[in-house]
Amino acid sequence: MAGSALKRLMAEYKQLTVNPPEGIIAGPVNEENFFEWEALITGPEGTCFEGGVFQTELKFPTDYPLNPPKMRFKTEMFHPNIYADGRVCISILHAPGDDPMGYESSAERWSPVQSVEKILLSVISMLAEPNDESGANVDASKMWRDDREKFYRIAGELVRKSLSL
Amino acid sequence: MRGIMLTATSFALTAAVLGNAYVQKKQFYPSVVYITKSHPSLAVLYLQAFVLVILMGKLFKKVFFGQLRAAEMEHLIERSWYAVTETCLAFTVFRDDFGPRFVAMFTLLLFVKCFHWLAEDRVDYMERSPVISWVFHMRVITLLVVLASFDLLFINYAYHSTLTKGASVQLVFGFEYAILLTVLINVFFKYVLHTIDLQSENPWENKAVYMLYTDLIMGFIKVFLYTAFVAIMIKIHTFPLFATRPMYLAMRSFKKAVHDVIMSRRAIRNMNTLYPDATAEDLATTDSICIICREDMVAGEPGAGGGGTCKKLPCNHIFHSSCLRSWFQRQQTCPTCRMDVLRLSVAAASQRLRQQGQQQQGGVGQQGQAGPGLGQQGNGQVPPVPGQGMPPFPPNFQFWLPQFQGGVPFPQPPVPPPPSSAAQPGASTATSPTTTGAASQGTSPGTSPGTSTATPTSWGTSLPNFPPPPNMGAPGMGGMLPNMFPSMMPPFMMPFGMSPPMPPPNFSGLSDEELHAMEGMERQHVQARIECLKNIQSLLDAAVIQMQQYSTLISGLGMPTVPVTPASTHTTSATSTVPTPTVQTGESPAPPSSPINPETLTSTAAQPSESSNDLSDLEGAVGFTSPAKETKDDAAEPAAESPEEQERNEVRRRRLQRLSSSETSTS
Repeated sequence: MAGSALKRLMAEYKQLTVNPPEGIIAGPVNEENFFEWEALITGPEGTCFEGGVFQTELKFPTDYPLNPPKMRFKTEMFHPNIYADGRVCISILHAPGDDPMGYESSAERWSPVQSVEKILLSVISMLAEPNDESGANVDASKMWRDDREKFYRIAGELVRKSLSL
Repeated sequence: MRGIMLTATSFALTAAVLGNAYVQKKQFYPSVVYITKSHPSLAVLYLQAFVLVILMGKLFKKVFFGQLRAAEMEHLIERSWYAVTETCLAFTVFRDDFGPRFVAMFTLLLFVKCFHWLAEDRVDYMERSPVISWVFHMRVITLLVVLASFDLLFINYAYHSTLTKGASVQLVFGFEYAILLTVLINVFFKYVLHTIDLQSENPWENKAVYMLYTDLIMGFIKVFLYTAFVAIMIKIHTFPLFATRPMYLAMRSFKKAVHDVIMSRRAIRNMNTLYPDATAEDLATTDSICIICREDMVAGEPGAGGGGTCKKLPCNHIFHSSCLRSWFQRQQTCPTCRMDVLRLSVAAASQRLRQQGQQQQGGVGQQGQAGPGLGQQGNGQVPPVPGQGMPPFPPNFQFWLPQFQGGVPFPQPPVPPPPSSAAQPGASTATSPTTTGAASQGTSPGTSPGTSTATPTSWGTSLPNFPPPPNMGAPGMGGMLPNMFPSMMPPFMMPFGMSPPMPPPNFSGLSDEELHAMEGMERQHVQARIECLKNIQSLLDAAVIQMQQYSTLISGLGMPTVPVTPASTHTTSATSTVPTPTVQTGESPAPPSSPINPETLTSTAAQPSESSNDLSDLEGAVGFTSPAKETKDDAAEPAAESPEEQERNEVRRRRLQRLSSSETSTS
């Protein structure tokens, strides 16, 4: 058999297939490489992203679950906590240890207790409630704060775009 | 598609150039001369060579790797760009050697490098994929062998070329290939480790440790090679700018490897020493799934589940020891509740230390108590000499470390004073106090000179931290505390006998918790010292008042006055030992007195080896006049001037006798 990272990823994959959480589909892109996953996230209901299906990719380090995976939206997104290139900025995806900037406490950061499912659920809740305090996309943060209507309009366009894919 | 187009164009151009040459010159040799003379033809041929190299690369790739993965391709392109940039920088250093041959060598180097990188990526991929076919193994092994022979060949060539033709650009190639060889060896070790891991049924616990050490050793060799290379290059040519980036990277990865190894060792040590193994009952109360690897945990069965035995953290969370170890390598917190495990265990350890320290603290208190005891005695009888008499004061106190407490008794005073001189002062002070009234000061019940032989209760109030000194005179006290000075040495000798504890050679050998514990006790000690100083201050206040009362009494008797008396110098010297100058505020400054007085003082102090230089300075500032005792002092001083100690002792005894007799008479 193989390393513990692979075992754990297989276990998580099995768990996600057998008992999938609502609004999430996730699994390895290629069954020969369990360290690159693709996940589909549906926009949470009652938010401006409702109805959208967003394609994301997760790249796991070889020492997973000791270090967090990297997550990126492949669908175009406009969100305060998603960089323009699609990288997701949430605290549980940040490497363990105290934030060198002193912004996040280590309690918010990655720990082996987290899992793919928890990450994706966190991302869904992030879509529902953007955190404009620590903006990855400053334009989106500003718009979310100042011009909510316009933000909703852009989000609606993105939802339509994601569905037409 | 575009690649095929370009390749075809290149081949067509080459064919055209060759055909043109042959058509024009009709023969082989003239055609070759024609082509080498014609720049456009040469350019086309070089382009063709480049295309051929790329085609070769593609062929090798197909043979050894099959389809490249996206990540591998990404890596390859990124690294290639760096390599090309560095090659261009290298060209600037070796511009004299620049030529087609040189470019060809660098192209070949780049080509070989690419395959090294790909091999590295491929072997890393072994960790990720659940299915590794025998084709994969075949490919990796042949690739490693081919690359290794390539590297060795070029190293050998560069070596001989350097030996025969002297240092040239071959030096660079030799080093580059040597570094590629270390990369290859590293890849090979990893391959072996991964293969062993794949063969075994369960994840191999120690694989991570072996990987760390492989990285460490290879990192060291790389750093060594780069350093040697840069040194040689600086000596022969100039600073090799093109080597700085890889050298920096090598050093960084070496540093990281060192750090990882250290962290890993610490984690293993902590695992083995700090945390208990989880028992079957522990596992039964939880859901018995290791949160790190998501596997079942089985108690006490090595090799079971994800990794051997299970460990229980202080927060009652249980994990596989191997999982926990790799996590602790990165973070010293509980994965589940994020409790800082290391700090907690350190706190527990320092708690233990502190408890020990408190036991020792008792000893310290007794020792430290000698300080105030002295101050009082000194006030009552003899002035302690500044600079020598107060070991417990802050400068020394800083190094009052736990290991010096308790166990190490104070050394005996180097020169024991004559016992007679010790006994008499005690007697004299015991007789004197009633007239002074200084003891009536509410703030310091135990401070007047007369009460230096005070009762335990007064000690208790003034010095709550310290038990009374063993031989301070009050009957019944001896039983209250361990007899620390069983030899019954004269009380005022204690300060001189107390040599300050030596500081430890350095603090680097101490662990965090030890330092912490030390610091914790030091705070208490500092407080105790401050308490002592306050007590001494009030003692001095009392003494000053007492002396003033003497002087008023004596002036009331109509005796002739003399600037300085032994009594006043008592106070001056005593005050001089106290760091806070406020003690002296109440006194009226007197004109400087003759330098003889310190001499008499020291004679009364019965301390053979002390210097009185400081006293003579201080005394002028703080001394005050007392009308009394002139006659006695006159008698005493000439004798005291002679330096012999026996004489001093004699003189002091006489003076004390007179003093006590005069005081009793005045009262």
